[in-house]
Amino acid sequence: MSEQRLRGLPQIVIGSFLMLLFIIAAALNYNMAELISGSLIKFAMNGIFVLALIPMINAGVGLNFGSSVGITAGLMGMCMAIQFRLTGITGFLAAVIISIPIAIVFGFFYGRILNRVKGKEDIAAIFIGFAFIPLMNFFWTVAPFSNREMLYPIGGSGLRPKISLANYFTKVLDQLFVVKIGTIEVPWGLLFFYAVIALIIVAFFKTKKGKALIAIGSYENFCKLSGLGINSNRILGVILSTVLAGIGICVYAQSYGFVELYGGPGAFAFPAISAILVGGCTGKRATVCQAMLGTYLYQTIFLLSAPIANTLLVPQMAEIVRMIITNGIILYAFLNQRKAGVHDEK
Amino acid sequence: MKKRLICLLMCLVIISTLLTGCSGVNGKSGSSDGDYHIAIVTPTLSASEDEFRAGEAMAKEYPNVVTHLTLPENFEDEIETCISTIVSAADDPKMKAVIVASGQSGLIPAFQQIKEKNPEIITITAPIFDEPEMMSKYIDINLDTNWIKRGETIPTKAKQMGAKTFIHYSFPTHLSKPLISARKDMMKKTSEALGMEWVEVVTPDPQTGDSVEAMQQFLREDIPRQIAKYGKDTNIFGSNCPMYDVILDEAMKEGFIVAEQCCPTPTQAYPTVLGLEIAEEDGTNFDKINEMISQKVADKGMTGRLSGWPIPVTIYMPEFAVYLAMEMIDNPDFDAKDPAVLNQLTKDKFGIEVEYEKLNSNGKTYDNYFVMIMDSIFY
Repeated sequence: MSEQRLRGLPQIVIGSFLMLLFIIAAALNYNMAELISGSLIKFAMNGIFVLALIPMINAGVGLNFGSSVGITAGLMGMCMAIQFRLTGITGFLAAVIISIPIAIVFGFFYGRILNRVKGKEDIAAIFIGFAFIPLMNFFWTVAPFSNREMLYPIGGSGLRPKISLANYFTKVLDQLFVVKIGTIEVPWGLLFFYAVIALIIVAFFKTKKGKALIAIGSYENFCKLSGLGINSNRILGVILSTVLAGIGICVYAQSYGFVELYGGPGAFAFPAISAILVGGCTGKRATVCQAMLGTYLYQTIFLLSAPIANTLLVPQMAEIVRMIITNGIILYAFLNQRKAGVHDEK
Repeated sequence: MKKRLICLLMCLVIISTLLTGCSGVNGKSGSSDGDYHIAIVTPTLSASEDEFRAGEAMAKEYPNVVTHLTLPENFEDEIETCISTIVSAADDPKMKAVIVASGQSGLIPAFQQIKEKNPEIITITAPIFDEPEMMSKYIDINLDTNWIKRGETIPTKAKQMGAKTFIHYSFPTHLSKPLISARKDMMKKTSEALGMEWVEVVTPDPQTGDSVEAMQQFLREDIPRQIAKYGKDTNIFGSNCPMYDVILDEAMKEGFIVAEQCCPTPTQAYPTVLGLEIAEEDGTNFDKINEMISQKVADKGMTGRLSGWPIPVTIYMPEFAVYLAMEMIDNPDFDAKDPAVLNQLTKDKFGIEVEYEKLNSNGKTYDNYFVMIMDSIFY
């Protein structure tokens, strides 16, 4: 019972901290409507990375620390769309569609590696994520793209570290069906896209295949005895996560305005994992609700903490809070997982 | 069988390493018709494009004289390998000058070892960052940008461009560096003396925290707020290069002033933000690139709101160091200790105006440490 109560503790602490931030922001005369619209955009632009973790967690493959694999597939999709100069919503959808087959191939191999390191997936994924980036750095410098807007300005070959989407599909989702409710601007297009992805995940886990995945994640040995293909199902989970991460970066990039190559993909794993853990997932079983709650809490804290800390003249504070939450919550989850694991064995 | 294969493979690796090692040395002396060599050491392409291209361009222009060496990919961490790369240049008996342009610290031992091997080799840095005292003692000529003076020139230029407020974005790791914080203090002093409002904002730290993305995302959110508060006649300065993709992009939307980037160059951020399509042959044609930027900036109605230096200092300085070394070797009357001579050499070779002066740090003037400011270009 006490453990159960403890499990909700981070959500309560972080939730109250967020409330406190909102109160301070109001007291400091910030434009609340703008902050809330900002928080909605930030929620959806980062949200798909968090949703992308769910299939892998539920299939028992652990937290996807190697999301850079899927993100790279998304980046390739976007590079192709830019190469063919596809603009607007067509460009965005083309990027998503092109990224999917690439992500499936990447996910397949990524899954096969993870199947060989059962029990140590988290660590292996971190290293795969790290190792994949230099490999792709090589690819970006030699890839035969020819749209000069994406190439290094001086040398004329190799992709730029950052490619602007201004002429392609910046904010196509952010500015789709924006409706003003009172003074708050709600980006319905973006939220709708996010909701579709979330619903697909919910629906998937209602199917037989999805249920099998959850069963494997919870009772692997039992499923083995029942004749379910453990490894192939785990690979399916990894492929799904990889595809979603690829879509996630497309959504992120259209909102952010730049495609970031080279070191870029490495930056998304930790914040996404922290977010789902903040939402109450312990790393064994995850739901869409946890992902949504976690993303909103986590992203909104950062939206608010930096400007508030600057106004209150304690700018370093924002950074310390960010570090404590991002890394602390991952540690907390591992501790909890340990406890839960011991409990299961009993 | 497997073991044998591995053995064979290992042997092949060793043999090929030895062979390529030898051919490198042979290649060097074989291709020379000139009577001396100059080595220029830069980071790799993916680590730092500008210096690499400068080295490459010089090696192309003087194939029999200039040798372009590259440091390891993560040169900041592998100081030992960097030192051995630099020192290896001195193995060539015809080597007359070694230029290092990697902007890192901890390389002084390399210069000491070069001098031990061959005291006649001229050493030039363009730039590296170490204690000026030590650099002045062990390195023949040190070149760098006049960082502190820019604390004066940037706000002055911003004022001329019509700024009423000066915003300085930075983060803790940067502010703990003496040069950056001294420049910031200078900017503050100058801004206040000129009657501009001084605003200082701290962003998420890309070097200790959640990487560059968090910092850029914060700028995306914060800049429109600041502009709403202080108006369009605000100059924004950020202390970190990756900030400029966002700062310039927001400038195009919000219409504020960017008097100078932290590392002023037309090739950074501008091509990305404006989506410039630079033809391959125009890669080093900065007049053309500047013209393209001016055109795009005018299209957005931002003429006169943005400014910078006409060529990237990170390309200018390594190339200038090569010309300087040649001049010092070829021309015994050349006085490399006179800033006016350096200004003239720049004008002859690049057609731009720069202002060199001897570094003055902690009340001491260094005779072989030169810092420069380049004339601005207004887009």
